[in-house]
Amino acid sequence: MRARALALSILSSAAVITVGWQLGSQGQAGTSVDSAATAPAAPTTTAPEASAPATTGPATSAPATTAPQTSAPAATGPSGTFTGTSAATRFGDVQVQITVENGSITDVVALHLTDRDPRSVSISNRAAPVLREQVLAAQSANVQGVSGATYTSDGYLSSLQSALDQAGL
Amino acid sequence: MTTRTAPAPLADRRRDRDPVDRARRIRGRRRMRAADLMIALCWSSVAMAVSLWLAYGGLAQITDTASALTAAGIVTGLVGTDLILVMLVLAARIPAIDRVVGQDTAMAFHRRLGKPALYLILAHGVLLTIGYAMTDGSTVVAETVSLFQGPDMALAYLGLGLLVAVVVTSVVAVRRRFSYEAWHLVHLLSYVAVLAAVPHQLSAGGVLADGTAQRIYWIALYVLAFGSIGVFRFLVPAIRSARHDIRVAGVERVAPGVVSLYLTGRDLDRLQTRGGQYAIWRFWTGSTWWHAHPISFSAVPTATSARITVRDLGSGSAAIGRVRPGTRVSIEGPYGVFTDAHRVAPKLAVIAAGIGITPIRSLLEHSDLRPGEATVILRGTDPAQSYLWNEIGALRSMRGNAVYTMLGSRPPGLATWMSAEALSRGVTITSAFPDLLHSDLYVCGPQSWADLVVRDARAAGLPDEQIHLERFDW
Repeated sequence: MRARALALSILSSAAVITVGWQLGSQGQAGTSVDSAATAPAAPTTTAPEASAPATTGPATSAPATTAPQTSAPAATGPSGTFTGTSAATRFGDVQVQITVENGSITDVVALHLTDRDPRSVSISNRAAPVLREQVLAAQSANVQGVSGATYTSDGYLSSLQSALDQAGL
Repeated sequence: MTTRTAPAPLADRRRDRDPVDRARRIRGRRRMRAADLMIALCWSSVAMAVSLWLAYGGLAQITDTASALTAAGIVTGLVGTDLILVMLVLAARIPAIDRVVGQDTAMAFHRRLGKPALYLILAHGVLLTIGYAMTDGSTVVAETVSLFQGPDMALAYLGLGLLVAVVVTSVVAVRRRFSYEAWHLVHLLSYVAVLAAVPHQLSAGGVLADGTAQRIYWIALYVLAFGSIGVFRFLVPAIRSARHDIRVAGVERVAPGVVSLYLTGRDLDRLQTRGGQYAIWRFWTGSTWWHAHPISFSAVPTATSARITVRDLGSGSAAIGRVRPGTRVSIEGPYGVFTDAHRVAPKLAVIAAGIGITPIRSLLEHSDLRPGEATVILRGTDPAQSYLWNEIGALRSMRGNAVYTMLGSRPPGLATWMSAEALSRGVTITSAFPDLLHSDLYVCGPQSWADLVVRDARAAGLPDEQIHLERFDW
């Protein structure tokens, strides 16, 4: 290889690598983990007005009659368990149930996780506890998700968001 | 042989004055720039494959040994697949690549990438299996079984198996055991292998997940590689063959085992063949249609006729000598950089041996030479190999230019391109070509012989860009 070709190759490769690395380190911009974490999180500012019933909602029910209201209940918030809608992913459905006490999330239980094949099951088993910890810490669906479990995180957080909407959080 | 000396400073001064020489050097520099860009593009695509994973946030995933192995598995898969797509592009006979570096150089690079690409893809499978097994706390065997049930994974394993078959049959030692046709058939499976791997990349690959820029780029790479194969290897040759309606007009036996085929066709000048180029020909008779032959033009085509000359080197090419007038012929090409357009130096040194005379004959015919510009050496073991020699001296461009012949066997046990007789007279490459260092050297003949000429030329100080070698191996 000629020296100029070598120099050119090294320069352009280094540039390409640097750009990729920058994109990757900027909170994983450009990946679907990120978009999954931020997109469903946007509606959290507009909590539904109606207080949710303290019963387990049907899996398919999405909040239907909800008028947006900016003030969320603070001291005495909703309590109960709320089941999010089932989110369909390429690797199977994901559905979560949350337990809320006085407006704070105390537990997240995964009712169904990606399970289309053994590999998906193993990814789900690894991701679920991490996602649960993240959600309990953040008290919202606005969390980073688990890298390497893109689809599971995506489904988990979207189901979680629908449960939060029902709870009025 | 006469010895002429041209003092170097004089030659250099003339180089700067002569517009033809200047244009030639500018073209040469432009070609080299383009070649450098192509090489850089090739390696940047490898960097891009790594970058896809980096942009996905791959680095953040590495927390322990298992995740490091998994990450390495993902990167090797991306880079290996990228190399395979580069190989497809190199084999697609894209006109820009052929014009700049020549299809044979592109294919030499293609061959060199084969094994590294396979090793990367194998590493991809092995690393991911081990990485997943460590993460899940299961065994490698259990993990393989579970992976096999994954989305599109059966297809991916099939693709891997085919890839192994393709590369193994192409390793030189193994390849000799196969006929060209059997090898080629297996080689075509590489298209299937590469396509079989696509579904699992798009469904199981986190880096290439739905809605990412990475996915769009990756699909674009595939479209580029398969698109250029489809267009330049299938569509363009099919259209050309139909448009020019080439047929055999006559077969002339010019020496034992050597035939010239006279072809007729429509608008053959529109092929824009340059002297020294070759095409890949297919003769549509019952016994020859399944084998395409690369054969050089032994004369520059006119609007209605062309001539190619071939020696029966294999069973297929022997059958060519028996085709009847009127046989339909399809063409892929013309290809090749063994032409006047690729010269960079003010003088021309040409040496041909045996059937190597064919591209030399059309190269010289197509060259616009000044008297004293060219020195030609025709080399043969015995007079039976002197076919087409009489035509060289009769070429208009050869007026005022010297043609020498060197007949006789090589001395036994010595690695030389010369006859024993010439060697004993003390002939060297610089005495044979007095202006060698200011010349473009065009060499065409049997591979081992041509390599010896190139060896001597390099030893005499001739830079690589002034050496033009036409290979006849497949």
